[in-house]
Amino acid sequence: MKKEAMLSIALVSVILGFMLAVQFKTTSANPNNLSAMRAQDLTLQLDKVTKERDALADEVASLRDKLSQASKHDQAMQVISQELKTANILAGLEPVKGPGVIVTLTDSSQPLVPSDNPNLYLVHDQDLLTVVNELRSGGAEAIAINEQRLVSNSEIRCAGTTILVNTTKIAPPFVIKAIGDPSVLESSLRIKGGYLETLENWGVKCQVKKVDSIEIPEYKGTLRFEFAVPNTNEKAE
Amino acid sequence: MWLLVLFCLLLGIFIGLEMPVFIPFLLAKYMSIAILAALDSVFGGIRAYMEDVFDTVVFISGFFVNILLAAGLAYLGDRLGVELYLAAVVAFGVRIFQNLAIIRRYLLKKW
Repeated sequence: MKKEAMLSIALVSVILGFMLAVQFKTTSANPNNLSAMRAQDLTLQLDKVTKERDALADEVASLRDKLSQASKHDQAMQVISQELKTANILAGLEPVKGPGVIVTLTDSSQPLVPSDNPNLYLVHDQDLLTVVNELRSGGAEAIAINEQRLVSNSEIRCAGTTILVNTTKIAPPFVIKAIGDPSVLESSLRIKGGYLETLENWGVKCQVKKVDSIEIPEYKGTLRFEFAVPNTNEKAE
Repeated sequence: MWLLVLFCLLLGIFIGLEMPVFIPFLLAKYMSIAILAALDSVFGGIRAYMEDVFDTVVFISGFFVNILLAAGLAYLGDRLGVELYLAAVVAFGVRIFQNLAIIRRYLLKKW
């Protein structure tokens, strides 16, 4: 009986000693117990940041690899930068110049007839849209309204008393520059029964000028897609 | 006889120090409560041994159940937002000192 009791106490002592040692190790490894939570937090953060750094270092290495490979194939590089330039021009991110037309639309200066709606004498967003549409169908390659380059996601929208293009307010006179075949562009606007004729009926001053060289600035906003991602299932041709 | 207990305690400490066992910092608090419970059980066992009322089943079960209950109560207290582990510290502390006092008296009576 006595022996058994002694043995069980001894056995329990082993466990107690083990627990004591583990606890001692834990507390001595972490001297200020009060900030134990914070220490763990920091440990986690350190771990995360370290992983991030490693990943970034890997990326740097792989990019350097690519760079050295690219500079080895100088010709390929040139082709790629050429392609990039072309893509930028097509996207409207590069200033361009060339022959084309300058269309100027100014609000009517006719004396208002009291019974008429004054809105009919003003240039509206719809008018600009239609003119731009005509220019596009006439083969215009680059269009800018009051130095605002029209790109694939540009809007022309009425906002109170002003018109927004590329979320920038523009005011009359509206100067629409378009690069393309000048005579085709002019005739697409000046065609009998065309839109400019309708506008001029309301007294809106329209002027179409053919020029040998006009400069059109680049799109100054940011082109960023938040929702659209490349569809990798169907490869673009 | 008592040398065996002391030896086993040192053996346990040695094993604990040598083995690569670590507990997370967050659980260190519960571990300390569990150690208090274990200490209380061991001193209680020694006292019972001296009083000749030692029961192995009561001792062993008391040891493990006390450890788990103490840690569990401390955890529950943390969940509830009550510093329940303080109650455990006080209760076990008082009992440990009582047991130690009784053991000391027995030892003094013996010699």
